[in-house]
Amino acid sequence: MDLSQYTELFRAETRDHLTTLNRLLLEWEQQPDRPEPVAGIFRAVHTVKGMAATMGYARVADLAHRAETLLDLLRSSGRAVTEDELEVLFRTADAIEALVEATVTGREGEVDLTPLLGELDAVATRRAPAEQPGRRRRISFVALPAGAGRKVEVQLRADCALKGARALLVLKRVERLGTVLGVEPAPAALTGDEFDGRFAFRLESQAPDERVESEVRAAGDVQGLTIEAPAAAGAGETTDREAGRSRHIRVDLRRLDMLMNVIGELVAARGRLEHLSQARRDPELADGVAVFSGLTRRLQSEILAARMTPVWQVFDRFPRLVRDLSRQLGKQVQFRVEGKEIELDRAILDEIGDPLVHLLRNAVDHGIEGPEERTALGKPPAGQITLAAMRDRETVVIIVSDDGRGIRRDRILEEAKRRGVVDPHASAIPDDQLLRVLGRSGFSTAGAVSAVSGRGVGVDVVLTRLRELGGSVEVRSEAGQGTTFTLRLPPTLAIVRALLARVGSERYALPLTHVAETVELDGARVTAYEGRDALLLRDELLPLVHLRDVLAIEGDAPPARRPVVVLQVGDRRTGLVIDRMEGQQEIVVKAFTPPRGTLPVFSGATVLGDGEPVLILDAGGLV
Amino acid sequence: MSQTVLVCDDAIFMRTMISDILAQAGYEIVGEAETGVQAVERYKQLKPDLVTMDIVMPDLGGIEAVREIVKFDPAARILMCSAMGQQALVVEAIQAGARDFVVKPFQPSRVLEAVQRVLG
Repeated sequence: MDLSQYTELFRAETRDHLTTLNRLLLEWEQQPDRPEPVAGIFRAVHTVKGMAATMGYARVADLAHRAETLLDLLRSSGRAVTEDELEVLFRTADAIEALVEATVTGREGEVDLTPLLGELDAVATRRAPAEQPGRRRRISFVALPAGAGRKVEVQLRADCALKGARALLVLKRVERLGTVLGVEPAPAALTGDEFDGRFAFRLESQAPDERVESEVRAAGDVQGLTIEAPAAAGAGETTDREAGRSRHIRVDLRRLDMLMNVIGELVAARGRLEHLSQARRDPELADGVAVFSGLTRRLQSEILAARMTPVWQVFDRFPRLVRDLSRQLGKQVQFRVEGKEIELDRAILDEIGDPLVHLLRNAVDHGIEGPEERTALGKPPAGQITLAAMRDRETVVIIVSDDGRGIRRDRILEEAKRRGVVDPHASAIPDDQLLRVLGRSGFSTAGAVSAVSGRGVGVDVVLTRLRELGGSVEVRSEAGQGTTFTLRLPPTLAIVRALLARVGSERYALPLTHVAETVELDGARVTAYEGRDALLLRDELLPLVHLRDVLAIEGDAPPARRPVVVLQVGDRRTGLVIDRMEGQQEIVVKAFTPPRGTLPVFSGATVLGDGEPVLILDAGGLV
Repeated sequence: MSQTVLVCDDAIFMRTMISDILAQAGYEIVGEAETGVQAVERYKQLKPDLVTMDIVMPDLGGIEAVREIVKFDPAARILMCSAMGQQALVVEAIQAGARDFVVKPFQPSRVLEAVQRVLG
């Protein structure tokens, strides 16, 4: 059989299991004396082993097998896992990943496992009980992971013969009542000599407890059983995946991208058609176009929904990253992740991984102080880093914050003056200028370059990437209190709702991502503020930007009644004065490489329904 | 009317013993088989309420016989008779459709409990 067709699937699924593995190892590290994560760790390793063996990747399978052996020893010894042992397991997870990547790309020979295998064996030997020959190892009972359904624990009679077969009979019987999930110990271990007659499983079933109990007892040789209430909703976040019953299929991302491109063209074509139909004033044509438009819209929202991916797919690798970094740097960090279920378009999600890595590295390396320094400052020795995602109106907001020392404004100011980035007489850098300075390519906040960060790439990467995605970045930093980066993103790429703004004879698209509201320009409420026009809006003084001036558009005098589009990027608000609004449209964003010398106020281009190409304004560049 | 049993084992000793235990408890032994092939044939003829099936038998083994019988009658009630150390085979038999098992050496009470579970 040709196995190569399964390579991608194998790779993707292995990656999922490794993510789970890392997550559970971190959990275990938090509480080394609690064995709850072990069952899941075991399962992940075991599954990878089985898949690799099926694919004929003997070295991957062997590595997984050795890890399994160690895990088996760890869980049967009943003693807490040690730091060394966890370290070896973490490195094994990394090695499996590296080996899988190398193997599927035919570079298997480049990975040298000798040192790791030696350590795995050494750790396993130290852990192995000094047992008398002939004594049987017993598989100690392992708690089930949280999940759906009732947890049922069964103890077979001590004198029951062939306990594994009896356990199987129990399982066969309860299977008539519903779905049996997550049997522990694993079914393969049930028939081993070590099985002591105690096992557990989850049962998803409508049957009352009494019925479950009588069915279990009817299998014979059952001494005791307990049935626990189903886990509360929410605890089963990963149930579907763990149970392997989720009704999902894997689709090559390129297919979805392709589909997205076609939909993009379709949306543009729909725009043209709607435009033409309006001009014709033919009711039959209008009806047909309306139906077509509705269907296109549904198609579009379905495909967009299919592309939405929860952020945990990227966030889940960060706890491991933060752990490794903080250890490497001798810091203590408590890392919190919030809003893992928030969804983003797959294409955006793929792009924000790098920027987030930069920000998290900065937070650990430059933000959080060492434990002694923190204690001396009266802070708890462990620093807090939070990564949070949330929905905010049309956008998704991702926050990376730390409670560390804050950005060293004095150093930044000095460096900025030296480079001529700011006025040489400036005495302070406010938050909004901070980002502009930090975002300069090659500008580093670090006094010294460390192995972790501070090579001078970081914030500029974040800024550039976010701008490419049609998003924005803000920073707030307070000396001694910490730094918070706020990334604001459109939830989907490629198609956004935009407002059409006319100035003179030109039209521009303004994505709604950063539009807070529109108001009318009331001349009586315009005042001068710090040398600029500002509009008194309710009790707020809103700085005004005249798009006509920014883009140096000449032509007829602007109309007397003009709208102001209030742009909001983070806390900063600016009123953009335009001549006229020409409604809203869904636009398909096309990447755009501006000619040299172009003002940094455009993020892309699009073709409107009437066929006219227009530029897309970047709110971040205007505010 | 008492329930009918087909006893399948290659050893006369075992057949006799099982038959005795069950007859004393009021079951009617309607037939015996000493090979797997015979077991399947007799089952089709006799349609007993219960089959006791040794795992290791000449020609067609006990597990294969279970498969054949279940194919013929998915509702067939089959009790496996096994020795210690045959766990993997018992598991296979259960997967094939056997309803329960007893382990040699037989204790009459255990055998009867298992029979009642299978017929119950």
